[in-house]
Amino acid sequence: MKPISTDELQAIVGRLPTTRDEDWKYTDLAPARDISSRWLDAGEATPSAALTEEIDRITGSIDASWFVIANGEVHDLAAVPGAAIHKLSEAPAGQHALAELNAALLKEGLRIVIDGTIDKPIGILVIDGTEGTSMSQAYVEIEFAENSAGSVVEYHASLGDADQYANTVVSVAVGAGANASHVRLQDRRRNHVQTGRTDVTIGKDANFRSAAFDLGGGLIRNDIAIDIANPGAEVSFDGLYLAGEGQHIDNHTRVDHRVGPAVSRQEYRGILNGKCRCIWNGKAIVHEGADGTDADQANHNLLLSDKAEIDAKPELEIYTDDVKCSHGTTVGQLDETALFYLRSRGLDREHAIQILTHAFAAGIVARAPVGAAKDEITRLMEARLANMIQTDDDLSA
Amino acid sequence: MLEIKDLKSRVAGNDILNGLSLSVNAGEVHAIMGPNGSGKSTLAQVVAGHADYEVTGGSVTFKGQDLLELEPEERAREGIFLGFQYPVEIPGVNNAYLLKAALNAKRKHAGLGEIDAFEFLKMAREKMATLGMDPKFLNRGVNEGFSGGEKKRNEILQMAMLEPELAILDETDSGLDIDALKAVANGVNSLRSPERAIVLVTHYQRLLDYIEPDFVHVLSDGQIVKSGDKSLALQLEERGYDWVREAASA
Repeated sequence: MKPISTDELQAIVGRLPTTRDEDWKYTDLAPARDISSRWLDAGEATPSAALTEEIDRITGSIDASWFVIANGEVHDLAAVPGAAIHKLSEAPAGQHALAELNAALLKEGLRIVIDGTIDKPIGILVIDGTEGTSMSQAYVEIEFAENSAGSVVEYHASLGDADQYANTVVSVAVGAGANASHVRLQDRRRNHVQTGRTDVTIGKDANFRSAAFDLGGGLIRNDIAIDIANPGAEVSFDGLYLAGEGQHIDNHTRVDHRVGPAVSRQEYRGILNGKCRCIWNGKAIVHEGADGTDADQANHNLLLSDKAEIDAKPELEIYTDDVKCSHGTTVGQLDETALFYLRSRGLDREHAIQILTHAFAAGIVARAPVGAAKDEITRLMEARLANMIQTDDDLSA
Repeated sequence: MLEIKDLKSRVAGNDILNGLSLSVNAGEVHAIMGPNGSGKSTLAQVVAGHADYEVTGGSVTFKGQDLLELEPEERAREGIFLGFQYPVEIPGVNNAYLLKAALNAKRKHAGLGEIDAFEFLKMAREKMATLGMDPKFLNRGVNEGFSGGEKKRNEILQMAMLEPELAILDETDSGLDIDALKAVANGVNSLRSPERAIVLVTHYQRLLDYIEPDFVHVLSDGQIVKSGDKSLALQLEERGYDWVREAASA
């Protein structure tokens, strides 16, 4: 990391997007700027006493070859057959203010190259926990070499009551003919802020399957951008977000079809309850000459409370003729007829709501491309749904 | 077992039941017949506890307790089962899960432990065989993509598993071909017992060829205008509902 003055860092923080930027109009990063400024003034905080225990718990929850980035520091690396793993001393500055912040403050990055076939998923735990206000950066490069096959699970977690802002930049390169699976699981504390950016490039005839689960967090913004510049690519990426009282979860997705034929599918689903806000903005751009593109995007939302707010926006831009594109967005409430049906079979209201919400989300979990992570995802999802319902007097009455 | 006195009910601002009285005892099979809009389904929904049906007068007791005070799930656990006219599709929840959850809710209420997984499967398979249902239906989403006949069989399967004291079957015969009708009737007949009462809500006499009722009631404008034995259903078939209405207003 190049030495950089606090004033310069404060200037970078000042350049973070604001609600005046079209892509950020629903998500105000003021808490991130505030935490960053306070952290820059106060300096590094002491790691939480419970950090080690929490790392052990999480890495024990999914059978994977784990790598840990705790409070921005990459822990010692273990060898994984079929993969090469290194620490990085710096990250590229990138074109976004968030990438600039990431590069300026990065302690260590992680580079994972999967060059063969790996059966056991590689796990990357990004965890933050300090006694005082903290800000942390994580930078991860994941490369699936030509014709390789493997899966990666990112698990983002946090602990502690102190204010916290985590900024993550992930770059995924899927080589020609590679078969890549990816899961991102976010279970941060509900008073913590996270911005995360994932850029994916897809090689010729490559297959990339991804699913993102936002089951925690306070103010969360995820950007995923998938660039298809080679023919024959098959891409699917799903998402599930559960938001309760006070949470704000923003998912911006973008897929660029630069050549065809190629297929991309995405389905994001959200369950919202209490005063909360979620955003799904799905952009698909089919560039000139990308004939044979098949792009589909869907976003479905279940609102359990009239105080919950969802802004769902599909954006399709098509600059060529021979394409098949579709999008669908729905916002609905609990089906009262289904609820009565279940209750008429003896199930109490709370149980019936749990069943219906679980059913709404189950498809996304079932399709998650990393089998080893499904139990943990299901466990976290069920616990979160139960908590959302039990803490709500209208639903549990 | 079920005592309905002078029941009045309103849905979406319209008075549907206008002082209906009915007494059902254990061991009896009642058929409630009547033209469309006479209040047959409303009666079924009110007894099961649907919140959209507002009770504006009268009383309903079940085994001596005020039924109208109970939540729908409490009524179910007490032994009431409603077979829906339009069974609800619930994708993502499999049939076995719902059956087991329903059975366990009832068992818990009765102070019993959860049903053993092996015992549950054995019981479900037996009941399904009686109804001519493929065991694969257990692992499908509740009513998801089922045909009309499959949905009705599935209702009867739920009833057979839950062994209610009072079963109300709302237009269970509608949309069934003759094979499905026979299978459903078999399922219902196999549940007839001195401890159990069955109320069949139906528009047509056809179902009563297969399930013989002890009593037939004709509903018109939210009241029972005529009651009799099974021969009344045959008279209705012959002479139509207008005959009863005219006789009632005369």
